[in-house]
Amino acid sequence: MARTTNWVVLGLTLTFLIGPFIIIIFAGASAGESLAFPPAGLSLKWYAKVFTVESFRQSFMLSMFLAVFGTLAALLIGVPAAYALNRYKLPGDETIRTIVAAPIIVPGIIVGLALLRYLVVPLDFTVTMALFFAHTALVLPYAVRVVSSSLHNLRADMEEAAVLLGCSRLQAFTKVVLPNIRGGVLAAFILGFVTSFNQVPVSLFLSGPGVRTLPIDMLAYMEITYDPSVAALSALLAFMSLAIVFAAERLLGFSRYV
Amino acid sequence: MFLNNREGLALALPAAIFSLLLFLVPVAILLSEAFRSDTGWTLSGYTEFFSKPLNQVVFFRTLKLGVLVAGTAAVIGYAAAFCIVNLGPTARGRIFGLVVLPLMISPVARTYAWIVILGRTGIVNDTIVGLGLSDTPIRLLFTETAVFIGLLQLFLPLMIISLVSAMENIPRDVIPAARVLGANWIQVFIRVILPLTKEGLVIGGTLVFTGALTAYITPAILGGSKVLMLETLLYQRVNVSNDFVSASVIAMILIVMSFSANLLLKRIATARS
Repeated sequence: MARTTNWVVLGLTLTFLIGPFIIIIFAGASAGESLAFPPAGLSLKWYAKVFTVESFRQSFMLSMFLAVFGTLAALLIGVPAAYALNRYKLPGDETIRTIVAAPIIVPGIIVGLALLRYLVVPLDFTVTMALFFAHTALVLPYAVRVVSSSLHNLRADMEEAAVLLGCSRLQAFTKVVLPNIRGGVLAAFILGFVTSFNQVPVSLFLSGPGVRTLPIDMLAYMEITYDPSVAALSALLAFMSLAIVFAAERLLGFSRYV
Repeated sequence: MFLNNREGLALALPAAIFSLLLFLVPVAILLSEAFRSDTGWTLSGYTEFFSKPLNQVVFFRTLKLGVLVAGTAAVIGYAAAFCIVNLGPTARGRIFGLVVLPLMISPVARTYAWIVILGRTGIVNDTIVGLGLSDTPIRLLFTETAVFIGLLQLFLPLMIISLVSAMENIPRDVIPAARVLGANWIQVFIRVILPLTKEGLVIGGTLVFTGALTAYITPAILGGSKVLMLETLLYQRVNVSNDFVSASVIAMILIVMSFSANLLLKRIATARS
């Protein structure tokens, strides 16, 4: 009895959480012309159409670029920061921690507007550059946090031993620390990638002619057209995210880090 | 632990300076905009903002939806988390994975699904008309209910995750012990489960509440201009009328609300113990 109730509650919750996603997959596979569920016959024409829409292709490339290089940039400055915050007793380390974590707390739409108004307009930054900085700042807190937690689990005396045995500090880092936190860095990359790729509010104001991230482009597209291609694209993107996460889980037990 | 502070600072500063210059400073200037006028400092941006009925409606609607979504998520979250914790280890891992899974999917995709479900020719309306409950489709999209449902679906996983990790830390025999000693399920919940999981509730509650306050896509797609929330209002003020003072005021409200939610919930959590 208790067991049945258990599964009923879980079944309902999961239907609510995952059901809409399944509906999207089928709505995108419609043979008809408009968005509906159940679809008017099944076909893959809308899934195929997604690849022929020029603006989707452009915005996909931009989102990909931001997600990959924004996350790499965040790791480039985030890993040393995480290392310093874990291994050194810094004056003002709480302040540094707060500053680096701040982008999580401030709503994205405000960040986008602020960058547009004070970097792009007066300082002549291009929109792409502002987007790049915004996405880097957005991912930075995750990078620092995830890498910090794997540094936390690595004993500091291993590096001290390496230094005593003749490594320079840099060598101790690249030969001892980095191989040991590789999983954490990769997990941070994946988390950052997914966060950046799916991000909407930050990019809302940061768009210009030909410069639009994919989610923003989808929002604009669904305002004018009511066909199933956005559903098809949504489903494809969801599969992409899931494939990345599952691969990560298989390779390194991603969920340990998040 | 190394003691060479200069070296440590050199490693930490690039990230801090980046965040400060390209993030905190622009945001701070934006927030200050509502306080500045040609003659000096002023609060007129705020008084003007709150004197407009539309802004008041949007402010209270945002607050209301945030509280409702967080509250409902807590109720469903406790039920779901309790069931998940009661599962065997393998099933628990799988179900937990299914709960986390939606978080990896683009919010645009997840919100778009509700158009298919709640639209004029959506599943719900087809059923209602099909059953003869109404002759014409009912307007479900662009209502507060639609926004509520969308937000709940978006943020419920965060609450469940927080509560599951809190419940996993409850010692195994505490609940059976309370039952044996004569407590009914309501008493068990209020006097055993709630006090032992309040930290998880605070974390989950803050995440869901601030998430709902600062969501843009859900109110934009499911609410449109009929059901404005603070984020969509901000976008409209800037894009339609270049009104940066209102934008600055809304930005401040969103940040203050997120912070105070966090503080308030923390206060509640510590007051009980």
